[in-house]
Amino acid sequence: MGLGFLVPFALAAAAAIVVPIVVHLTRRRKSKVLRFPSIRFIEKVPYRAESRRRIHHWFLLALRALAILLIVAAFARPFVDRTDQAATAGIGPTERVVLLDNSWSMALGERWADAQELARDAVSDLGPLDRASVVLFARGADAVARATAEPIRLRQAIDTARVSDEGTAYGPGLKLAQAILEESELPARELVIISDFQAQGWTGEEGIVLPGDTEVRTLVVGDGPADNAAVADVVLNRTQVQGRERVSPAVRLVRTGGTEPREVEVVLSLDGQPAQAQTITLPGEGADGVVFDPVTVGGDAIQGTVSITEDVLPQDDIARFVLSPGRAERVRILTPPSAGERAFFVERALGITEAGEFDVVSTTGAIPSGEALENTDVLVLVDRALTGDETVRVAAWVADGGGLVLVAGERGGWGAGGAGVFPGALGGIEDRNGRGERLATLEYEHPIFEVFRGPRQGDFSAARFYRARTFDVQASDSVAILARFDDGSPALAERRTGAGRVLVWSSTLDATWTDLALQPVFLPFVHELVRYASGSTEAFESFTAGQVIDVTDARAMESAGLGQVAEAIASSEDRVVMTPSGGSTQLSDGESSHFLELSEAGFYEIRPPGRGDLRPVSVAVNVDRGESDLTPLDPEEMVAALRTGTDVASTADTERAMALRRADQERRQSWWRWLLLAAFGILIIETVISNRLSRATARSGHARVAS
Amino acid sequence: MERTATASARFLDPTVLTRIGNLEVLARNVVDGFLNGIHKAPYLGLSMDFAQHRPYVPGDDIRHLDWRLFARTDRYYIKQFEAETNTDLMAMVDVSDSMDWTSDDERPTKLDYARYLAASLLYLSRRQRDRVGCITFDDDIIEHVPPAGRHLERCLQTLERSKPRGPGNLKSAIYQAVAGLRKRGMVLLISDLYEDVDDVIAAIRYLRARRQDVIVFHLLDPGERELPAGDAVSFEDAETGEQVPVIPSKLREGYATVIGDHVEALRRALVREQVDFVTVDTSTPLDHALFAYLSLRARATRRR
Repeated sequence: MGLGFLVPFALAAAAAIVVPIVVHLTRRRKSKVLRFPSIRFIEKVPYRAESRRRIHHWFLLALRALAILLIVAAFARPFVDRTDQAATAGIGPTERVVLLDNSWSMALGERWADAQELARDAVSDLGPLDRASVVLFARGADAVARATAEPIRLRQAIDTARVSDEGTAYGPGLKLAQAILEESELPARELVIISDFQAQGWTGEEGIVLPGDTEVRTLVVGDGPADNAAVADVVLNRTQVQGRERVSPAVRLVRTGGTEPREVEVVLSLDGQPAQAQTITLPGEGADGVVFDPVTVGGDAIQGTVSITEDVLPQDDIARFVLSPGRAERVRILTPPSAGERAFFVERALGITEAGEFDVVSTTGAIPSGEALENTDVLVLVDRALTGDETVRVAAWVADGGGLVLVAGERGGWGAGGAGVFPGALGGIEDRNGRGERLATLEYEHPIFEVFRGPRQGDFSAARFYRARTFDVQASDSVAILARFDDGSPALAERRTGAGRVLVWSSTLDATWTDLALQPVFLPFVHELVRYASGSTEAFESFTAGQVIDVTDARAMESAGLGQVAEAIASSEDRVVMTPSGGSTQLSDGESSHFLELSEAGFYEIRPPGRGDLRPVSVAVNVDRGESDLTPLDPEEMVAALRTGTDVASTADTERAMALRRADQERRQSWWRWLLLAAFGILIIETVISNRLSRATARSGHARVAS
Repeated sequence: MERTATASARFLDPTVLTRIGNLEVLARNVVDGFLNGIHKAPYLGLSMDFAQHRPYVPGDDIRHLDWRLFARTDRYYIKQFEAETNTDLMAMVDVSDSMDWTSDDERPTKLDYARYLAASLLYLSRRQRDRVGCITFDDDIIEHVPPAGRHLERCLQTLERSKPRGPGNLKSAIYQAVAGLRKRGMVLLISDLYEDVDDVIAAIRYLRARRQDVIVFHLLDPGERELPAGDAVSFEDAETGEQVPVIPSKLREGYATVIGDHVEALRRALVREQVDFVTVDTSTPLDHALFAYLSLRARATRRR
């Protein structure tokens, strides 16, 4: 610790101290001037020089010199430099990041209180040149205090932090810490991780590369796994019984910790009322399941919960879901009047589902018009050509979100208005030689073939193709070839048009040109083909805390199972959201305000403002189920996996950082103000004394003249 | 007689003279009082009687042509009178800024004293039939009245309106003045002589080379001989404006020595040049100077 100067070269101005001395010695007394005929003889008298060089008032001279020194010192910006003190201690200015785990597992016992205390300790020993950040992490990460040297701010950030409903993911928190440490110019870096170190949040592939000199400290809270039972998941099995949809909730229960079997009561509640209950005995470190009796689903969505007896972690003892009525995809199969048998295999395949997923209508007439077409989700044209007028109408319908599957066959095709809607142009019939060709190239990344990706998940190579239409696929960003024959010619191609999609199969889906319909993969293939064409996705019964939904995207909301009112909510300018904790938020069509972050576990309700007659959309949000697994991770494993990169702080950076720290110290101490005040005070005193002395001298001079 | 002398002496006191505005009245009173006081008629053998003829040369005043002789001889002759053989008296008065100073407001400044002195001397000389002229100068000739029998009034007017206007330079002024001094005569140099002795001697030699008898009146105020007592003051040069901060009480002795040495050096040098040197204290009555002048004038006449 020593006296430092932020602008040391300003001290050179201290040379100005000679000014008052020179003035003192050379100043002429202007008060008394005597006119004289000639001073030529006065100048010849040697006494003159001695007289002028005499200092009369040493005290005044000292005051003036002191005032100048104080002003110079003020401009040099002095401060007590504690940099050396920190350097002597071997620490140096340190950038410290405190990663505080606030996933919901931290609510177990005293974990959170302990973690907060450890975090306070971590920021309490900051040196005068150090900075610290507090980053809360769970599924995401949030820097609640970033690179600050103010202990109050850091403590406040820790004190106001709360346990979230999100699960643990170390990646985002570590990434944010890495960014803060990399941005820092300070020579030393430190990362403090305070967590219960659940193994499930660590994949080992986070790819974190910390700056080379970063010291990592891990502070573990909690004492290992506890005896915790949790509702792992709820599967809603839908069945159609006599035209009515019934749902059987199947619950999977998991128990971590414990050795003795434990009885657990599992309760199914619908719209807040207990509907069914079962008791199950869970073994230690084991799992079991419960299937409730089927529940008939009405026209409206139902809020449902499955809960078990509360234990040490009550957050995972309940699972919430929204039971919405399922909706079958409306499929219309069209064939030429004389070739109705061509659709036989497709029709049968679509009819084989457990929950009545497809509502199939097969006709041989014309393309329906008006409302009939609008009420169709997928149109399957088997061996049927579209006329020019039909092509235009179908193109408009597809652009609005319809799905078209065109099975070429002998006659399949489209009119002149199909350019820009269909993926290319179908040509003549081409016979495949010998034993026929196979499907050689399939896009397994595509949703249609994704289910067949794994081994023994479906063998398309067994199918033989003896005949197909030549298919010249247009090269376009919206066009994709999903399957090819051995010779590379396209078998299946897709074109996205507006909100809908068009799929063209260049062969047939019966047993005439190919034996694909006789293969096991045929049924799931047709299901996936039609499902993809409809654009629908699997409905979500519940979300996990931390997910985000776009309330303005009607299709996304509907596909997420948010009910039939999603369209009305999405189309309105404002929506009111009631959170599980009882708060309300208004979401408008602003830049980012239409995204609803589901941060709390419970039921969110979304409705347009002032629309009392419309039942709100319910969104069920559960805590991250994986968080129930309290199996700890060895912190050393994490530290070992955190790779360290090169030292990003160069010597110049360090010097710059030190200069900044000195400037910061000087700013906080602000001695220059007091020095300037003192200087002005001294100058005032000097003026007063000087004036008094001048008056006294003048009086004595008058007295002499009078005498 | 004694009473008259006392009265006259009082009247010649410089502090009394300052109350007389008209320089001619002042000079007449001074000289008449002075002459009455000494009770001796100053006859110096001067008259306006005819002396001789001489041939006319171009440039002569045609008023002095003798027309009767021209009628007789058909030649031009100029009449010369006895008076013309008398001396040309030129008073050179220093009117530089250093002359405009007095140490006592009751006393006349050196310039005023120089005016009185010059006026009195010119008046006195005119009464003795000398031709009188005057020059006022500082570092240049300011006004030049050539010597003539009837130029007394012009000289008095010139002296009366002379005002200090700048620093003095005796050498430069005399170098220019000698161009108008074509005839042998007498020069009364009235100055405080704040010059180097060598410069003064060089200027005097220039006058002497023009056959001029020179009488130097060195005017000094009593305050110039002795510095005032007191604490630190700044002395400002009356000519240059330069200021020197000094403590007079610490300087008095040294200054008195320096100024005394200067006066003595002037005296010795001028004596060596056969120039009459009169130190005049502006606090002393004018008759002292007049006495000095008359005695020196008489001596000069004898020399001639």
